[in-house]
Amino acid sequence: MTFAAKLKGPGWYRALLSVPLSLAFSTALVVGVRALYGWDPLFDGEAITTVALIAMPLAFLVGIGCFDYWFYWAAGKPTRDEDHSGHGAKTWKDYFRVNTDHKVIGIQYIVTTFVFFTIGGLLAMLIRAELAAPGTQFVDPNTYNGLFSVHASLMIFLFIIPVFAGIANYVIPLMIGAPDMAFPRLNALSYWMLPMAGIMMVASFFAPGGAFATGWTAYAPLSTEVPLGQQFFTIGVQFAGASSIATALNFLVTIITMRAPGMTFFRMPLLVWANFTTSLLVVIATPFIAGSQFFVLFDRALGMNFFNSANGGDVIMYQHIFWFYSHPAVYIMMLPGFGIISEVISANARKPVFGYRMMAFSLCAIVVLGFTVWAHHMFVSGMSAWLRVPMMITTMLIAIPTGIKIFSWLATLWRGVIHLTTPMLFALGFITMFTLGGISGVMLAVIPVDIHVSDTYFIVAHIHYVLFGGSVFTIFAGLYFWFPKMTGRMYDERLGRMHFWLSFVFFNLTFGPMHLVGVDGMPRRVADYAAEFATWNAVISVSAFIFGMSYLLFLYNMITSWRNGPKAAANPWRAHTLEWQVSSPPPLFNFDEIPTIVGGPYEYGVPGAVHGVFKKPEPVAAASGGKE
Amino acid sequence: MEAATIAHEGHGHHHGPPEPNRSSRVEAQTLGMYLFIISEIMLFGAFFTAYFFIRVVIGDEWPAENMHLPVAVAGVNTAILISSSATIHWALESAKSGNRNGLKVGLLMTTLLGATFLAIQINEYVNIGFPPASNAQASIFYSLTGLHGAHVFIGLTLLVFATTRAFKGHFTEKEHRGVEIPGIYWHFVDVMWIVVYTTIYVI
Repeated sequence: MTFAAKLKGPGWYRALLSVPLSLAFSTALVVGVRALYGWDPLFDGEAITTVALIAMPLAFLVGIGCFDYWFYWAAGKPTRDEDHSGHGAKTWKDYFRVNTDHKVIGIQYIVTTFVFFTIGGLLAMLIRAELAAPGTQFVDPNTYNGLFSVHASLMIFLFIIPVFAGIANYVIPLMIGAPDMAFPRLNALSYWMLPMAGIMMVASFFAPGGAFATGWTAYAPLSTEVPLGQQFFTIGVQFAGASSIATALNFLVTIITMRAPGMTFFRMPLLVWANFTTSLLVVIATPFIAGSQFFVLFDRALGMNFFNSANGGDVIMYQHIFWFYSHPAVYIMMLPGFGIISEVISANARKPVFGYRMMAFSLCAIVVLGFTVWAHHMFVSGMSAWLRVPMMITTMLIAIPTGIKIFSWLATLWRGVIHLTTPMLFALGFITMFTLGGISGVMLAVIPVDIHVSDTYFIVAHIHYVLFGGSVFTIFAGLYFWFPKMTGRMYDERLGRMHFWLSFVFFNLTFGPMHLVGVDGMPRRVADYAAEFATWNAVISVSAFIFGMSYLLFLYNMITSWRNGPKAAANPWRAHTLEWQVSSPPPLFNFDEIPTIVGGPYEYGVPGAVHGVFKKPEPVAAASGGKE
Repeated sequence: MEAATIAHEGHGHHHGPPEPNRSSRVEAQTLGMYLFIISEIMLFGAFFTAYFFIRVVIGDEWPAENMHLPVAVAGVNTAILISSSATIHWALESAKSGNRNGLKVGLLMTTLLGATFLAIQINEYVNIGFPPASNAQASIFYSLTGLHGAHVFIGLTLLVFATTRAFKGHFTEKEHRGVEIPGIYWHFVDVMWIVVYTTIYVI
């Protein structure tokens, strides 16, 4: 291919050309408009950055080729006959192209999100280094604020939410017997929007005035007044949100319209249920954070008055709109994990999931109740006082469906034949840690307790118990569980167990003591603290460093096992769900023959029980044939 | 990933994934558009929440002293937009019954009516006499009408695609999703305008 052809065709060459062009365009646009209106100065760095932050990612997406097919289609031109040209990955290079294969996109998602998880983790290490002793160690307070803000934003928007989308992307079409997602090209676009958001957030460190330093909540009017770095968050979140909505829409349509024959809703694996309900939350709630960030953007860029109380604006409004997304977002970060745990526990305890229907109904109850609790984040905000008690009650109510799930998992384990594999260890660790986080959550629902510990380390402890001990443990469980399916190779079990025990012990040593210093009144989001907290903080920092190093074990295990681990069998866990009935990794289009579903997904230990049957087991597909 | 390619070597002529099982009577594309509209409604919901806080919770006068909203002109504009809902419906019905001229004229008329709406809206902004930065009421006025205007623009883009394709001879009695789905979106944009018009201009 000639160089000109490379520049014309979709790919990195065109993307690397279109991005600088869009920067030049943004500059010209801003300077041109300012000249037209006669504003001074003509060259406004903040305005140019704002326009460029929107234009450059879009130009990249066009350049890399996310829109090519749609452009041809829209113009009524013949689309390329091989509209799935990007299907499958033959070499590692194919993972760096726009690819419409859900399995490739799933791995793209997981690897990308782990890159940002690693960056976010390093930021956490810096935070703990600064907090190892009272006084200032090596960062000034503003930089410190930037560190924890970018840490939280990356972990939430670039790791937990999208890594679940990645796992689901890989597993869900396989689980429901579909060849791909409903909208493969939209799926590719959703993936490629994600790194845009992440790069933007990390790049905010290079903005004049430092990274955005308003926490991941970016409360107005603080966020409308801080330096330029904030703009990177405000716009970055829009890309992450758009990516999230597009994926959720795709999951919903895929699950509703593409299930295998015989797979009724109550024969779906609980991971599919979990992602179905999560996707409902995403589609309904995510536009609210988009709205809140639009208002911040308008106030900053266009001088509007949404959060300027002198001109009729309302600052509490930001928190209402923000939390109307961000509380459901807590469940967006948890429900897919619930699904993973149901799969792992039932396969490793060799028992049907206890109360399958109640597990599904409790997910639905969480979706509904999740929209009614947002103001429990605002007990000390100065909002209308009458709103407090209803929010306390609904918050306590939401513990009921969550409790149903915990008890159902325990009942699933009851008298099961428990195999303590790495995914199972993480699942059991999850149940204990998440229960602790849930209990501190119910404590926080109680208004007087919340007022006492608001903005202390108790909150930090709670959020890490539910998001690390909860969500991230389920992510580890899920990755170890489906690693053989995704890569066709087995991970090192011994390293996996070491990773679990090190994380489990040092997770608790890191975040457990935070409850104590929190109740004693150590404020969060401050670079310094009183001398009385010095001992505990030294303990926390040392534990955090060991905890951080335990993650290196995981990385080492994943990378070396992916390169040259032993070949994995099609069904190493002897699980019943469909993804285990095909080869590891699965064939290009998942199933040579779409299976028919004849029973529930978890009938372990029930003689003769089968989930799906393959009508015509061809000789080639012997490994993917029917079950025993 | 080698195993993935080997399994399908015998299918050299076969492009794209095999047909999935259809587990719902609803078409995937139609369902996708409906879900997208739900999330669009929620985006408008966030803007209406801001409107509610500014107008009801803060309780300053609406419209603010400096705001003179051209209710009658916007009313005419509303009528233009609503009539475009009728023309896109006609275009779709024509497509279904094989009336190619009806399809083309219907799509063209819808596009022109939509473009007229947008032009009148922009003209209103130019002549309205208060900037978005003057107060919170002005901010939410511009934001809500602007958000709607952006959606009209997206709808128009889809309509231009459909019109281009119609004139190039695409769409048949059986295959007309390219008209139907932009049509669903266009109806949504119309209905949303009625809500915006009522809350911002009328009450």
